[in-house]
Amino acid sequence: MHRRTLLQYAGLGAGSLALQSLLRAEDERRPQTHFRPTAERVIFLFMSGGPSQVDTFDPKPDLQRYDGDDVPESIAQTVPKIKRAGLKNLMASPWRFQPHGESGIEVSELFPETARHVDQLCIVRSMQHRNPVHGPGECVALTGTGAGNRPSIGAWSLYGLGSANQNLPAFITMNIHSDGMQYPQAAGWGTAFLPSRFQGTRVDPRVGVRHVTMPAEQAREDRRDQLELIEWLNRRHLQSVGEHSELEARIRSYETAFRMQSAAPELFDLSGETQAIRDRYGLDASPTELAGRTCLLARRMVQRGVRFVQVRIGGWDAHGNIKGNHTRMARISDQPIAALLGDLKQQGLLDSTLVVWGGEFGRTPTMEGRGKGRDHSPAGYTVWMAGGGVQGGRLIGQTDPLGYVATERPVSPHDFHATILHALGFDANRLTYLHHGREEVPTVFGGSAVKEVFA
Amino acid sequence: MSEQGGVQFAIRGTGDRNNPVRRKLLKPFTGPELFVHFRMQYDAGGIDTPADGDGEFFVLWLDDVDGGDRAAHQGGVPNVGVHVAEQENRLMVRYHSSQQHFSRIALEGDREYQMIVRLGKSNAGPDQPFDQLALWADPLVHERENPAVKATSHDAIRRVQWLGFATGRKTEPTDTIRISDVRVAASWREILGLSAAVAAKAAPSAASPAPPQHVEKTVDFTTHVLPILETACFSCHGGADADSGVRLDVLDELLNQVTPRDAAASRLMELVRSTDLETRMPPPGEDRVALTRQQIETLGTWIDEGIDWDDGRLPTPVPQTDHWAFQPIVRPELPQVTNRGWIRTPVDAFIARRHELAGIGPAPLATPETLARRLSLNLTGLPGPRPRTAAAGIATAEVPPPPTTAAGDSTDDALVATRDPDRAEATHAVADVLVDELLSTVAYGERWGRHWLDLARWAESNGHQHNRERPHAWRYRDYVVQSFHSDKPYDRFLLEQIAGDELPYADEHLVATGFLAAARYSGNELDHEIQRNDILVDVVNTTAQTVLGLTLECAQCHTHKFDPFSLRDYYRLQAFFTPGQPGNVVLQSDPATAHALIESRWQIFDDVHRRLVAGRRASGVPEPVLVIPKSVFRAMKGPERTLFQRTEAAIAQLPQSWSWTSLTSADAPLAIAPHEMRWPLPRQGTGASAPKTYLRLRGDVKSVGPEVRPGWPAVFGKTPAGLARPRTTLATWMTSADNPLTARVWVNRIWQWHFGTGLVETSGDFGTQGTPPSHPQLLDWLACELIESGWSTKHIQRLIVGSNTFRQDSRFSPQGHAVDPDNRLLWRWRPRRLEAEAIRDSTLVVAGQLDPQAGGGSVPVSQAGRSRRRSIYLQQKRDNLPESLTVFDSPPAVASCSRRNVSTVAPQPLYLLNSPFMQTMAQSMAERVREAASDPDAQVQVAFEMALGRRAEASELQRATQYLADHTLTSFCHALMNLNEFLYVN
Repeated sequence: MHRRTLLQYAGLGAGSLALQSLLRAEDERRPQTHFRPTAERVIFLFMSGGPSQVDTFDPKPDLQRYDGDDVPESIAQTVPKIKRAGLKNLMASPWRFQPHGESGIEVSELFPETARHVDQLCIVRSMQHRNPVHGPGECVALTGTGAGNRPSIGAWSLYGLGSANQNLPAFITMNIHSDGMQYPQAAGWGTAFLPSRFQGTRVDPRVGVRHVTMPAEQAREDRRDQLELIEWLNRRHLQSVGEHSELEARIRSYETAFRMQSAAPELFDLSGETQAIRDRYGLDASPTELAGRTCLLARRMVQRGVRFVQVRIGGWDAHGNIKGNHTRMARISDQPIAALLGDLKQQGLLDSTLVVWGGEFGRTPTMEGRGKGRDHSPAGYTVWMAGGGVQGGRLIGQTDPLGYVATERPVSPHDFHATILHALGFDANRLTYLHHGREEVPTVFGGSAVKEVFA
Repeated sequence: MSEQGGVQFAIRGTGDRNNPVRRKLLKPFTGPELFVHFRMQYDAGGIDTPADGDGEFFVLWLDDVDGGDRAAHQGGVPNVGVHVAEQENRLMVRYHSSQQHFSRIALEGDREYQMIVRLGKSNAGPDQPFDQLALWADPLVHERENPAVKATSHDAIRRVQWLGFATGRKTEPTDTIRISDVRVAASWREILGLSAAVAAKAAPSAASPAPPQHVEKTVDFTTHVLPILETACFSCHGGADADSGVRLDVLDELLNQVTPRDAAASRLMELVRSTDLETRMPPPGEDRVALTRQQIETLGTWIDEGIDWDDGRLPTPVPQTDHWAFQPIVRPELPQVTNRGWIRTPVDAFIARRHELAGIGPAPLATPETLARRLSLNLTGLPGPRPRTAAAGIATAEVPPPPTTAAGDSTDDALVATRDPDRAEATHAVADVLVDELLSTVAYGERWGRHWLDLARWAESNGHQHNRERPHAWRYRDYVVQSFHSDKPYDRFLLEQIAGDELPYADEHLVATGFLAAARYSGNELDHEIQRNDILVDVVNTTAQTVLGLTLECAQCHTHKFDPFSLRDYYRLQAFFTPGQPGNVVLQSDPATAHALIESRWQIFDDVHRRLVAGRRASGVPEPVLVIPKSVFRAMKGPERTLFQRTEAAIAQLPQSWSWTSLTSADAPLAIAPHEMRWPLPRQGTGASAPKTYLRLRGDVKSVGPEVRPGWPAVFGKTPAGLARPRTTLATWMTSADNPLTARVWVNRIWQWHFGTGLVETSGDFGTQGTPPSHPQLLDWLACELIESGWSTKHIQRLIVGSNTFRQDSRFSPQGHAVDPDNRLLWRWRPRRLEAEAIRDSTLVVAGQLDPQAGGGSVPVSQAGRSRRRSIYLQQKRDNLPESLTVFDSPPAVASCSRRNVSTVAPQPLYLLNSPFMQTMAQSMAERVREAASDPDAQVQVAFEMALGRRAEASELQRATQYLADHTLTSFCHALMNLNEFLYVN
């Protein structure tokens, strides 16, 4: 479909509804920001499976020294007593670390591309929680509870932000490389008790929004007439019933759907992107093709007003062979993620877009069993944030000399969520939603923003 | 002994006696029993049946001597193989050609039979005859005692040195028989390719959870600890007004100051040990001195030993509450009202009373068509199997048609007409008949059963990342549907679901416990304590929410912030369920077979498991050596694997139910079929001791507090001790007439599913944070009716759908809106969107495509798009529910869902407009319309009646025929299926 036709088409019927007042009304119900936001939108790069901190962003020279030894008692006794916390056979990282950028922050040679942007990153090396299992751990990382029965951080964000584009879902989640054992947890983009309009719409980056294409045999004119007939009959029905905001909203949803029919294919049509961009994201090379496409789509989405984009890249679960697994995962994701950071900056979007990277937990500094892999470990792991008011080139928190347990400035997933909301202008403890008579907040289990991230 | 496995022979007949393959054993065999194994396959092309030819002959023989090429054996030589019995070729054994013993197995061509022969001596000894002969075809491990056929003969060989295969006169040159894998062995297990038998009960040690450590008690609470607390602490930190809110004379409160089994980490110890006089406890003062070292040590030991307590002397105070929902239910008087003529059932009296107090009046009676559609959708989730007839029945058969004007729309006239008392009475009478009809349909059970499944967070997979399917979970769904259909008394319904496995055995009782078993279950959880606790938390939260309308989950981590429930209450409730777990219970048509099959399955599994563990241990893998089932399956050797798979296939054929049973249930142990996961729950029936229940501080499984015994929340009174059937006791308490919650919660749910909103809006929270009832007296009156009717759900429904309240029109009234914008007083019918299932099912009905097949296994997700069955029969796989349902807010089946969300997002219209399903349905509907009518006017009317249950009004007819002039009938039908009126109960 040509761009011009699309635009014409998108315009059809838009004026026929008293939409603007409805939108405004919805806008007024939104919670007010508590302070000046530093970001208007979020891209959450969720590395499912658990990337290892000591092989990526948390260098531990001592691991070389004690390679093969057991964890010394002084550290062993600080390791939370949860299953899987192996204390035998420390294993040196197979990768070297080097300082990068002006900040001189050390990054493993696994991520040469991301390392170029280290002066944009604020790296939190002291993430910590207690759930060492993928599914519940993912729920902790994205909703704050292992049961996943509370709203996702994306839903809370959207509740605060509202939608900036009526033609596309305001919260989109794309799950790629999730063919391993770690099933994507729907709670991660769910709303729990928040109204479902804050829900993430799950989109396959290779396919786009479901059912957005009109049936081939249906003429466009026919569809327009059909929608007019539907609206005419719906308005009669509404009249007979009188005031009914839900019926009105439903009438409006047809208008949005209609516009999405053109906006969504346009969003997913990458033919307008230059070859330079394609190369930068690695769209034409096989390991990077999918993550590259997904990251590029993330940029196109935020460019078009999507407020929260969640990119879930699965496969980081390196039990048997840390070297093989992380090499493969880095090959898939390093270039596209670096391209996204660079592209956002070039497009002038990085300052207002908060980008976060991290998994549901990290990995043990010890060897798992007698293999060459590492086991799950939530006791101390790394995430980073960039853009959206974040002070780049900064390190926050610290783990012990072996990288096992967060020892300085531990940050819980709840703190992390509060930090994201802080960037969006909200004090998580005061962002309330009335549910069953209770004022629910995102930080029901505690948590406060890590303000050092911003200043 | 010689082995000939691996070699394959193809033997052809010669039309004469022949002995084409024979082998000599390395030495003669005279032992007590000899087994021979071989695989045999007859090419189908060569098989004659006795009816059209001579039939077939082929045998294996065992002899002391080589019989020569012509197969000249004496009598007494065992033969097994194929021969003719009556009109069939069948598997047989014989010692003598005159005495053949036939099995029931008829020879099939092109099928490979695994043949196992046993030659045995009833008296052992080299000179004793092999007087026992038996044959199995494709046996399972446990079938040793059930050969396909056997024979005995005293006249039999005494030793075996030769075995061979013989053909006969019936075996023609065109017949090909393939023989392979010929082996001999001296035992049953060996011939099956298994290692020696193991003790059947042995389970891998990794399967049982490690109990929290127990220490011998050296400190006695009453003699050693209490005196210290009394003299040093209680004067300030006792009683309701304790200093700083810290109370040490109540266990639940004390637990905030200590960490059981870890004195070093306990705040209390830190304070009593402190050398800083500012913080030390007890603080310096006239009559108080610091504790002695001895006393401090005693306290420390007491904590390290797990905190012994005397509940009799220092009981947890029973919380007092005046919250309405916890007060006894008292039957209210029916209110007196002015508008007495409006009262059809007592429900109306309560509603009218509030109308009158608020100075508003009800909306008029809905039109017969609207009412018929509303009743049908409300009670069955379908617009009616014959929507036209039902509506027409009301509209024309009994009620004089309303006067229609030539041009104008008739709605107003119809409404005026319903104010006419005679016409109204006739409308009601017809509607009452319809109600009776609808309540008796299976469709009613399907609709209301689905409501219950929301509460039960029922699904057909485990959830969590492995999300293994539960192929037998559908039986619970059918149980629920059937229970609503038959109006099973609600108290009985609850009892069966909560304690079915404790009731006298009936398949139905076990299936009912699928309610508890629907909990999620993480198969990737290595820590069995966390795994079990997660399941129990799910069960407790769901049960409390569903039955009692309580949000107990808060008390899992801390004493409830709003409601009178303590941490202890939570874990006492958990204790009712602790010994149980979900699993595939075999329904007991043939328990012996089930047990034997499952046992032999585990034998094979455990053999291999043991082998792997031993191997890994030997290669230096540190303890504990963990081997997951997948590795076990992979490591099975050829014959083991074949047999294992065959056994699994046989187990899969047994009728099973995904149910909840106690690990320690006594009487007749149930057969539990395996449900393999990476880290499965402990195997049932293995004599595992009952797990105990402990307080878990802050909800952390690893912060183990004191042990607790089963009990309901203290606010509801005392729980009897020493319960033989604990969950029966729990269910009986829940449904006793003086339980203040169960009946109220249930009638409120029924009300909600009829009106869209309950009398208590927060139907899952009757606690202090829930909303108060809009009509408290009506709620209590209905609760009394429920109990006194013998807990009949349909009785309550008749009172509701028979009322004028339910039968009001949806028309807007400015006056009503001004007084009560949310319609809490029910001054009109408020249209509400259909649930996802009802939308899909209605679409199928309107398209004439609904496949009414009820019950049975679910339609797999992969086929959901093509299926035409009701939505309740689409597989409910967690995290992978059918798109047609999730797009309209079907619950994710993770937690109990009291009230569904209604979203209005753009993916819904996209689905309704563009999905292949909706397009196909629109075409089908158009075909139906075309069959019924040919000219456009008539087609519009037929289509309106199909989709909306009413005729088009004049202006609609005009607009629609205009549309049809330019567009296809399919396009028009598709539009109707997108209307709010179609998607809503009006």
